Amino acid sequence: MQMKRKTIVPTTSSTRALVAGSAGLVVAIAIFLWKPTVLVYGLQRAGLYAAIAIPMALVLGIVHIVNLSHGEFMMVAAYLTYFAAKLLGLDPLVAMVPVSIVMSVFGFAVYRLTIRRALRAPELNQLILTFGLGIALSQSINLLFTSQSWNLSLDYVTSSATVGNYSFGTYDFVFVVAAIVFAGGLRLFLTRTRMGKAALAVGQNPRGAAIVGIDVDRAYAFVFSLSVGLIGLMGALFLTKQAIFPTVGGPYTMKSFCLVAMAGVGNITGVLWGSLALGLAEVAMTNVRALRDWSSIVFFVIIIATILVRAIRERKA
Amino acid sequence: MNSRSGIVIGALVFAAAVCLPLLSRSLPAIAGPYPLAVARDIFVYLALAVSWDMLFRSGQVSFGIAGFFGLGIYGAALSSLRFGFPAWLSILAAGAFAALVAALFGLVILRLRAIYFSITTLALAEIFRIIFHNGGDFTGGAEGLIMPSLISNSDSALYWVALSAVAAAVLASSWFERSKIRFALTAIRNNELQAKSSGIGIFKYLMIAFVVSSFIQGVAGGVQLQIYGAASPDDSFDTNFTLLPLAMALLGGVHSTAGPAIGAVILGIVSETLKLKIPYGHLVVYGIIIVVVILFMPNGLYGLWRGRTARRADAGRGGERRHHGGPQEPGPGTVGAEEARRG
Repeated sequence: MQMKRKTIVPTTSSTRALVAGSAGLVVAIAIFLWKPTVLVYGLQRAGLYAAIAIPMALVLGIVHIVNLSHGEFMMVAAYLTYFAAKLLGLDPLVAMVPVSIVMSVFGFAVYRLTIRRALRAPELNQLILTFGLGIALSQSINLLFTSQSWNLSLDYVTSSATVGNYSFGTYDFVFVVAAIVFAGGLRLFLTRTRMGKAALAVGQNPRGAAIVGIDVDRAYAFVFSLSVGLIGLMGALFLTKQAIFPTVGGPYTMKSFCLVAMAGVGNITGVLWGSLALGLAEVAMTNVRALRDWSSIVFFVIIIATILVRAIRERKA
Repeated sequence: MNSRSGIVIGALVFAAAVCLPLLSRSLPAIAGPYPLAVARDIFVYLALAVSWDMLFRSGQVSFGIAGFFGLGIYGAALSSLRFGFPAWLSILAAGAFAALVAALFGLVILRLRAIYFSITTLALAEIFRIIFHNGGDFTGGAEGLIMPSLISNSDSALYWVALSAVAAAVLASSWFERSKIRFALTAIRNNELQAKSSGIGIFKYLMIAFVVSSFIQGVAGGVQLQIYGAASPDDSFDTNFTLLPLAMALLGGVHSTAGPAIGAVILGIVSETLKLKIPYGHLVVYGIIIVVVILFMPNGLYGLWRGRTARRADAGRGGERRHHGGPQEPGPGTVGAEEARRG
């Protein structure tokens, strides 16, 4: 099962999209009739998952590296934001810009020092390399700041709205906005800008891109730094809502990979839909008393199921 | 190292290891209770590292060591608490349980390759953890199970138990190295299509490697239970049981029995020392080792040494068959020998 190089601009066939779309609509209506808040919280969680997964999809689609240290980069960004907030008194939503810049420089350094050297190595080496990077990042933070968990208490994150008989938190829609901005922004970047078009070409065929005069290494470096920069933004946003500790990023690496694998290499729209399914499924499970303890298993079952379905489909193709 | 001197060295090391506890009175610094306790922890990791490598020889990276290890811990605990197995039998039951689960899942997941296989094994480990966490009274839930009695409380007896698990792992691994399984796994790793067209039963050999390595991981879990006397979802399925053996095998040198064993001994001692000095984050060493080894010495320490002795042997023969690439010249059993993914 080799990962095929595909275009990063979505190419789903219209009939399949129609079937999936109508099935999704039915499920959404059913959930709405059962518990409308599940829909809201599911959507918010989906936004968080999608916004974290999209940068990983970008790197996988263009650099063809599965970055198993993805969640750890987010964790590092969250720690940076925490210190910007505590020491400089910046609001995380303001601090996210400098943090993102610092993170993309850091990402560039990581690319130059490690990833670039492993680009021609077997896929397994790349996998173990980024796995090791992730451990090094989370354990360095553990070494510096211990495993204690930290959080900021911000008053604006508790904003809520009431519709009819239901009230729900509204702040988390910021994740949905982030996911949509990321997806839309990347699409514009990849199709409209010179650098983006070059990156897309490199993603489709590095050798061909090199032949027509594109600097492949520069494109890889740019895309990797961009991805780490985006995850830097997410780290700041993540901190506004959740407590952080050294291993907080690990599960998000897994979830992002799950979503990216579900969508297929380079398919960013697919990541959005996959996140929606995962977010809704998890929130729905936590709302059923008998299933509450098992809601954390949903994601792992989904990941294995998607991988197997993909494997079978690719075997047939 | 040719195969006969390998056997001799292995037998000598093993004999020395067996005799070590007998010296505890005369040499407490290296054979007292504390060194023995460190040694049996290292043995558990050594068995895990060697077993991980056995599957890795086929080119499959398992991130699920902790999963099968945890199954072993629970398999041993449940078989002795719920079914009254004696301690020694519970260790075998632990291995059998892990092997059985591996065989069942293997039917499906061994058809996956590369990252898909790795992530699936990682996800399986988490699923196992959640199942034992939510298993109610039978599995002891979040608190887990505590063993009322163990095989022995004596340091040297526990040491020998751990040592026998290591012996089993090393024997199985050298059986892999000395039989045709080795050629099958190497062929699968180098080029699966070519291996298939040469008539190698890919699935059969992957299954053998997966089940045997899971069996060893289960046995190591059974031993771990005898050492620590408790099984709990968070400790038994701790990611460190995946991370440490992987780093050990990589540092020592993959695709061999000696490499992971050497790596386990070195890193085991290093981490024991660091743990006392740096309570938080001493594992950063493991992350850095993984990165550095993958980038700069993909054949590990044992690979470096093997490359050097090979060159010396060539020089002795007048240099007629000199290798050209230095110590990292990829032999048939090295990471570097795999063809690059992109051309």
